[in-house]
Amino acid sequence: MVFSSILFLFAYLPIVLALYYIVPARWRNLCLFVVNLVFYGWGEPVYILLMLFSITVNYFAGRLISKHRAEDKKARGVLVANTVINLAMLVFFKYYDLFAGTISLIPGVNLPTLGLELPIGISFYTFQTMSYPIDVYRGEADVQKSYISFGTFVALFPQLIAGPIVRYKDVANQLNFRANSVEQFSSGVRRFLVGLAKKVLIANNIGVLWDTYSAMPAGELTVLGAWLGIVAFSLQIYFDFSGYSDMAIGLGRMLGFEFLENFNYPYISQSVTEFWRRWHISLGTWFRDYVYIPLGGNRRGLGRQFFNILVVWALTGFWHGANWTFLMWGLYYALFLMIEKAFLLKWLKKIPRFIRHIYAVVVAVCGWVLFQLDSVRQVGAYYKAMFGGAGGGLWNRADLYRLGSFAVIFIVAILASTPLGKKLYDRLPKRAAAIVTPVLMVLVLVVCTAYLVDATYNPFLYFRF
Amino acid sequence: MSKNSHRVQIVLFLVFIGAFFLLHLCLPDRSFSERENRVMQEAPRFTFSELFSGRFMTKFEKYMSDQFPARDAWTTLKARAEVTQGKQENKNVYLCPVEREPLEYMLIERFDAPEDSVIEKNISALNTLCEATDGEVYFALIPGAGEICKDLLPDDAPMDSQRAVIEKAYALSEAKNVDVFGALDAHDGEYLFYGTDHHWTSRGAYYGYTAFAQAMGFESRPISDFEVETVTTEFYGTTYSSSGFSWVQPDHIERWVQQGENVTITNYPAGSPVEASLYDDSFLAKKDKYASFLGGNTPQLVAETGLADKPKLLIVRDSYMDSAMPFLLEDYSEIHMIDLRYFRTSLREYIAENEIDQVLVCYSVANFSTDTNLFLLGL
Repeated sequence: MVFSSILFLFAYLPIVLALYYIVPARWRNLCLFVVNLVFYGWGEPVYILLMLFSITVNYFAGRLISKHRAEDKKARGVLVANTVINLAMLVFFKYYDLFAGTISLIPGVNLPTLGLELPIGISFYTFQTMSYPIDVYRGEADVQKSYISFGTFVALFPQLIAGPIVRYKDVANQLNFRANSVEQFSSGVRRFLVGLAKKVLIANNIGVLWDTYSAMPAGELTVLGAWLGIVAFSLQIYFDFSGYSDMAIGLGRMLGFEFLENFNYPYISQSVTEFWRRWHISLGTWFRDYVYIPLGGNRRGLGRQFFNILVVWALTGFWHGANWTFLMWGLYYALFLMIEKAFLLKWLKKIPRFIRHIYAVVVAVCGWVLFQLDSVRQVGAYYKAMFGGAGGGLWNRADLYRLGSFAVIFIVAILASTPLGKKLYDRLPKRAAAIVTPVLMVLVLVVCTAYLVDATYNPFLYFRF
Repeated sequence: MSKNSHRVQIVLFLVFIGAFFLLHLCLPDRSFSERENRVMQEAPRFTFSELFSGRFMTKFEKYMSDQFPARDAWTTLKARAEVTQGKQENKNVYLCPVEREPLEYMLIERFDAPEDSVIEKNISALNTLCEATDGEVYFALIPGAGEICKDLLPDDAPMDSQRAVIEKAYALSEAKNVDVFGALDAHDGEYLFYGTDHHWTSRGAYYGYTAFAQAMGFESRPISDFEVETVTTEFYGTTYSSSGFSWVQPDHIERWVQQGENVTITNYPAGSPVEASLYDDSFLAKKDKYASFLGGNTPQLVAETGLADKPKLLIVRDSYMDSAMPFLLEDYSEIHMIDLRYFRTSLREYIAENEIDQVLVCYSVANFSTDTNLFLLGL
């Protein structure tokens, strides 16, 4: 189930909120646990079992580690075994077919592919569950004795299928006690509607343009068309993904949870390093705390740091999907990060701000070509078209028509990727805000509902994560 | 913000999602949407096999959006929102302003040209038919509003050329090609196509008939010969249904030919003969008013005119022919119409059995480009 659907907004959510606030506080975790499983099972009921397996394994791993904390060897053994099980599950369900297919390219080797449906959100929840025993082992989190509370954390529907990756230690206290307040609930509603508008009104809308251009045969793609397409996708993925995170954070607040922020206006960055501090923050934090720093981070010299960056960004790229192009996308960023660390950041400081800004945005936009197209051949053809080598010409009449049709949405989307709107809103006098806010809320609800009822295009972009 | 502001916002949100949830539960479901001209998903039945196959969920989600309270108002609002943003299309239908009685807008569907291989495959089936029959085979492709009225489209709007498809197909065809494009294009500016539907109007069909006459060697009657009767001024067609542009004016439907006394029409909607007529008025009370021509889609239909000295014609066709066939009645003794989408048989045998003299294969460019049944021509 996805948030931006009639089913979620006008059936699941009202039922869940009603149930949640009707049952006594001590049953709320159980209530959440059950509705979470319904939410998750809606797409593929069989995979509820996989999720329960994951919850159970990590729950007991946490308990065992906490029990054997005094004997480091045993605790360590459990931790290693648990991490291996988690990763094995992720690798098997997500990457097996890619590996089998790739190995089978060797003459004489023929591994069968399985064609398993990827369990939705497996990359998100595996990372969440995996970090819990590690934190217990490190002494950064207390053990969770209640199976239901732990299960509620793992399967918590707001962040289950598209993040943010919430770590156990960040919500541990809230699992045991949540003080619900009117302020928190209403801020949750506002945040949810911001996310809904980002997803339904901006991302879905502008995504149509990318779909048009990415489906075009390479020879027909003009330079203008190729850039329009990839800029549209850059905006689509940002508004889609950050919209989901906003909705998750908002829903969390309606239920009394506070999740950490996941996006911080990435497209205003002035370097690639900064971009990754602003983009999908929960994933970056996860890799930093559980891979980069354990590998030595930047404390063992530049050579070792570069190696660590390569490892972390190869994994980051590959985490996004079982395709070698994702690995390349990760390495693409590793390259820029290393160059920036080596000398570019110092140079950038000396040049005007808007050039730094253009540099960061162009790197990100060009990166999305690697990210979103399926094969190296398509990626190559698209780059060629972007830089005029595909023979489609500079522009054609259809490009102008599309530019005209999408001009308004482009302008809105570009402005909305900056903190401008938020700044203006925050400067509203209190009494004006008291009127403007509910008006905007109703407007968003009404227009989003219209677009959802008449949904011709409402993709879920994270089916490969 | 004051606590009351927070409360107001919460209530607004909860009332909105709660109210539509309850309304959906309370309001009766509808099984058919007149506006969209399609069957709506009703509440799916729960079974475990449907659950585990995932079909239950898919149907349930469709059910939620199909039966959403005041669905038609929401789809109109979405179309309005698109236009407000500066878009001139919704769901592949262009909203084209025009001053042409009775229309203020024409809704023109985007045409995407097929691969050359599709044209080649279809034409090779046609050529097989030409070789296998002794009678003359004629071939006609009817362009749509997207070609004839392309000057009405938004500036630079993407629209593949239907004329190019016609030219490619005609170049490969071994049948005698009929220049329908020329006949229609000469009268651009008249009410040739419905504003809210993909079909040609009776006037458009008349010009099509003049092109048939020229190619097939009979005299066409002048326009002044016809007494035109307007049978409805409330026709909302297929592009209206799919686009959501619900604020446009309805079309008129005209009848140019009245059924003569000696003409008998036999329809074979399900294999067995049923007596029929040129027009089925019952459709004028329904949404699909174009189906009042010959009663809509059918596998096979035979018209006998009683003019024994005239030849026998077989038309392999799509729905455009429903409104054009009446014009041909004075020039043939029998007209057989076959729609390959529903009628699967060997045309060669059919032609021999019914002693057909002439064959007309007549399709709209849009159907010719997408219909996967044309290979049956060669059987």
